[in-house]
Amino acid sequence: MKLYHTSKSCLVLGAGAAVLASTLFWSTPLIASDYSISGESNTIFRMRRTIDDKKLLPAYEYLHLNMTDNRSDGTGLSLHIGGWGRTDLGDSPTSDSADGDVQYAYVTYRAPKDNTAVTFGRQFVSEGVAAERIDGLYLRNDFLYGLSASAFFGNSVITEPGSAVQNQGGTFVYGARLSQSNKKYYTVGLSALKGETENNGKYREEEGIDLWVHPLQQIDLTGRSTYNSITNGWMEHSYLVTYAPLSSIRIGADYAEINFKDYLYNMTNPALSVINPVWNANDKMTAAGGSVAYSGLGNLMVSADYKYYSYDKSGHANYFGGKASYSLPQSFVVGGSVHRMDGVVDKLCYNEYRAFASKKIGQADLTLDAINVNYDKKINGVTNSYAVTGAAGYEVNRKLRVGADVEYSKNPDFDREVRALVKATYTFDTNSAAEGGTKK
Amino acid sequence: MKNKIVIMSTLLLMLSLLYACANTNSLPRVHPEDVRSLGMPRPNCSECHTDSWSALNHRAPNYLAKHRFYAASSRQVCSMCHTESFCSDCHTRKDEIKPSDKFSDQPERWLPHRGDYFSQHKIDGRINPVSCVKCHGRQNNQRCATCHK
Ligand code: HEC
Ligand code: HEC
Ligand code: HEC
Ligand code: HEC
Ligand code: HEC
Repeated sequence: MKLYHTSKSCLVLGAGAAVLASTLFWSTPLIASDYSISGESNTIFRMRRTIDDKKLLPAYEYLHLNMTDNRSDGTGLSLHIGGWGRTDLGDSPTSDSADGDVQYAYVTYRAPKDNTAVTFGRQFVSEGVAAERIDGLYLRNDFLYGLSASAFFGNSVITEPGSAVQNQGGTFVYGARLSQSNKKYYTVGLSALKGETENNGKYREEEGIDLWVHPLQQIDLTGRSTYNSITNGWMEHSYLVTYAPLSSIRIGADYAEINFKDYLYNMTNPALSVINPVWNANDKMTAAGGSVAYSGLGNLMVSADYKYYSYDKSGHANYFGGKASYSLPQSFVVGGSVHRMDGVVDKLCYNEYRAFASKKIGQADLTLDAINVNYDKKINGVTNSYAVTGAAGYEVNRKLRVGADVEYSKNPDFDREVRALVKATYTFDTNSAAEGGTKK
Repeated sequence: MKNKIVIMSTLLLMLSLLYACANTNSLPRVHPEDVRSLGMPRPNCSECHTDSWSALNHRAPNYLAKHRFYAASSRQVCSMCHTESFCSDCHTRKDEIKPSDKFSDQPERWLPHRGDYFSQHKIDGRINPVSCVKCHGRQNNQRCATCHK
C-alpha cells in the first residue's frame, strides 16, 4: 500500500520538521529574533448533488500555519504547514479515496548571503523541468559568475486513482538545475529530472533548457524546451514574449508545440495519458496566440486575445475575444468578456459570455458572476449552458470573515442544479514588528 | 541505489562549491513595499521597478501563462510576497474543492474552470489537454477516475 506508505512518511517528516524547528528557534539567544506566527483557518460547508443524484453535505477545515524567525544577522528559519480535512454531515460520503491531506509541511533555512536555501519536508518544488510535490530535501545557492544551482530529491507525492492504470506513479524523484544569469539581460537554465518506480525502474527522465531574456525594459521573453529521454522525443517547446511600448499598453504573443507521446507519457490520469485514444491518434499539437491590453483609461482596463490550436490529425480551432473591467480600489469591480470558439467539429463551435460585479458596502460585500456558453449545435438537446453565482461576505473584524454563495446552473449534463457553500475565514498573526509587506 | 549515490555525490560537490560563492546579499525575505495595500487586484511591478523585476508585471494579460516560467527560475522572488498557501490554493494534489469554488467572492482572479464545469471540461480538455496536465496529470485525479478508466 503505497498511499499508506506516503502518508506515514509524511507524518514522520512533519514530526521531524517540528522537532527540528523548535530546537532551532530557541537555540541562540544572543542574536535578536523577529519571531512570528501567522496562519489562516478556513471552515467550509458545501451542499451539492452528485451526477447519480446523491445529496452531499461535507464540512471542510483548511488550516495554514507559518512560524518564522528572521534573525538580526540575516538568517531566516521558518516552518510552514498546510492541510485540510473533511467530515460528512449527510448520509453519503463525498469520496471514499480520501478525507484529508497534508498539502505541505516543511522547514526552510535561508542564509543572509547567496540566496542559500535548504528546505526539508513536504514541498512543491519548481525548478526548470520540475514542478513536483515531494517529501524530501531541496537546496539552492548562488555562485560566482552569475551561476546558481539547485537540487532536490525525495518521495514523490502524487495521487493514485483506484483505476487500473499500468503505471501507478513513481516513488523516488530527484533533479537539479544549473543556471547562469546576467541580472540586467538574461537567465539561461539547464535542468533534469528522474523518477523511479517501486522496483527502481525508469518512470520519468526529463531534461530541459529554460530561458528568460529581457534586453530592454519593454521586452520580456520567457519559455522552455523539454526532452523526454525515455521516449526519445521533445515534450514541449513553449515560449512567450511580452512587449510594453508604453506603460499603458502590453502586447503578448505565445507559441507552443507539444508532442503527445512524449508529453503525456506515464501520466496516471487515463483522460490525460497517451493511453487515451484521442491523444494516441494525434502526434502533435501546435498552439499560437496573442493578446493586447490597454490600461490608459484610468480605472478601465480592456484587452483582446486570440489563440489558434492545431492538431496534426483532428483539425484546428480558433479562440478569440475581448474583455473589459472597471475597478475602484477595494470598493467596486465590474467586468465582462465575450469569446468565440470556432473549430472544425460541432463541439468546438460556441460563444462564451461572462459578466461579473463585486461591491463593498461597509463591512459587507456582494458578488455576482454569470457564465454562459452558447453551442452552435445542440448537445444532449441543450444549446445554452449557464452558471450564475451570487456571493455575500461580511467582515466581522480584522481577523474574521464569513461568507456564503449559491450557484445555479443548467447544462447538457445537469438539467438544473443548485449548489451552496458557506465559509468562515479566520486569520491570525502575532508579529508585533511587521514590516510593510504583509504576505498572503 | 546507484542513483542515490550519484545524488549524494552531487550534493557533496555542491556543498564544496560553496567556497566559490557569489558572496552577494540574499533577496529580502519580505518585499519592502506592501503592494497589496495599493488596492488593485494585481500589482503593477513596473510602477516602481525599472530593473529586470518589472518583467514579472502581474498586469500583463498573459501573466498567468508566464508565471510558471518565473516560478521555475526564481521561486525565491515569489516567496517575498506569497506564502505557500497562496500557491496551494490552486496547486493542490488531492483536493475536493476547485479554486473557483473557494473564492467565488473574487471574480477578477484568474481561477481556472469557473461555473459548473462538467459539460465544458469535455471541450476544454479536448482542445488543450496540456493545461489540465499541470494540475490533473499525476495529481487531483481521484475524481476523474470515476469516469475515466
Ligand atoms: C510600490 C512600489 C513597488 C511595487 C509595485 C513593486 N515593488 Fe519590488 N521593490 C520596491 C522597493 C522600494 C524595493 C527595495 C529597493 C530595491 O531593492 O529595488 C523592492 C525590491 C524588490 C526586489 C528585491 C530586489 C533586490 O535585488 O534586492 C524584488 C525581487 C522585487 N522588488 C520584485 C517585485 C515584483 C516581482 C513586483 C510586482 C509583482 C514588485 N516588486 C512590485 C517597490 C515596489
Ligand atoms: C511584490 C510582490 C509580489 C511578488 C514578488 C510576486 N507576486 Fe504574485 N501577486 C502579488 C499580489 C499582491 C497579487 C494579487 C493577490 C491576490 O489576488 O490576493 C498576486 C497575484 C498572483 C497570481 C494571480 C492569482 C490570481 O488568482 O489572479 C499569480 C499566479 C502569482 N501572483 C504568481 C506569482 C509568482 C509565480 C511569483 C514569483 C515568480 C510572484 N507571483 C511574485 C504580489 C507579488
Ligand atoms: C489562480 C490560480 C493559481 C495560483 C494562485 C498559482 N498558480 Fe501556478 N498555475 C496555474 C495554472 C492555471 C497553471 C497552468 C498554466 C498553463 O497552462 O500554462 C499553473 C502552472 C504552474 C506551474 C507549472 C506546473 C507544471 O506542471 O508544469 C508552476 C511551477 C506554477 N504554476 C507555480 C506556481 C507558484 C510557485 C505559485 C505561487 C506563487 C502559483 N503557481 C500560483 C494557476 C495558479
Ligand atoms: C491550477 C490547477 C488546475 C488546472 C490548470 C486545471 N484544474 Fe481542474 N481542478 C483543479 C482543482 C484543485 C480541482 C478540485 C479537485 C477535484 O474536484 O477533483 C479541479 C476540479 C476539476 C473538475 C471537477 C469539476 C467540478 O465542477 O467540481 C474537472 C472536471 C476538472 N477540474 C477538469 C479540468 C480540465 C479539463 C482542465 C484543463 C482544461 C483543468 N481541470 C485544469 C485544479 C486545476
Ligand atoms: C462524470 C464523469 C466525468 C468525470 C468525473 C470527469 N470526466 Fe472528463 N470526460 C467525461 C466525458 C463523458 C468526456 C467526453 C468523452 C468523449 O467525448 O469521448 C470527457 C472528456 C474529457 C477530456 C477530453 C479528452 C477525451 O477523452 O475526450 C479530458 C482531458 C477530461 N475529460 C479530463 C478530465 C479530468 C482532468 C477530470 C477530473 C478532474 C475529469 N475529466 C472528470 C466524463 C467525466
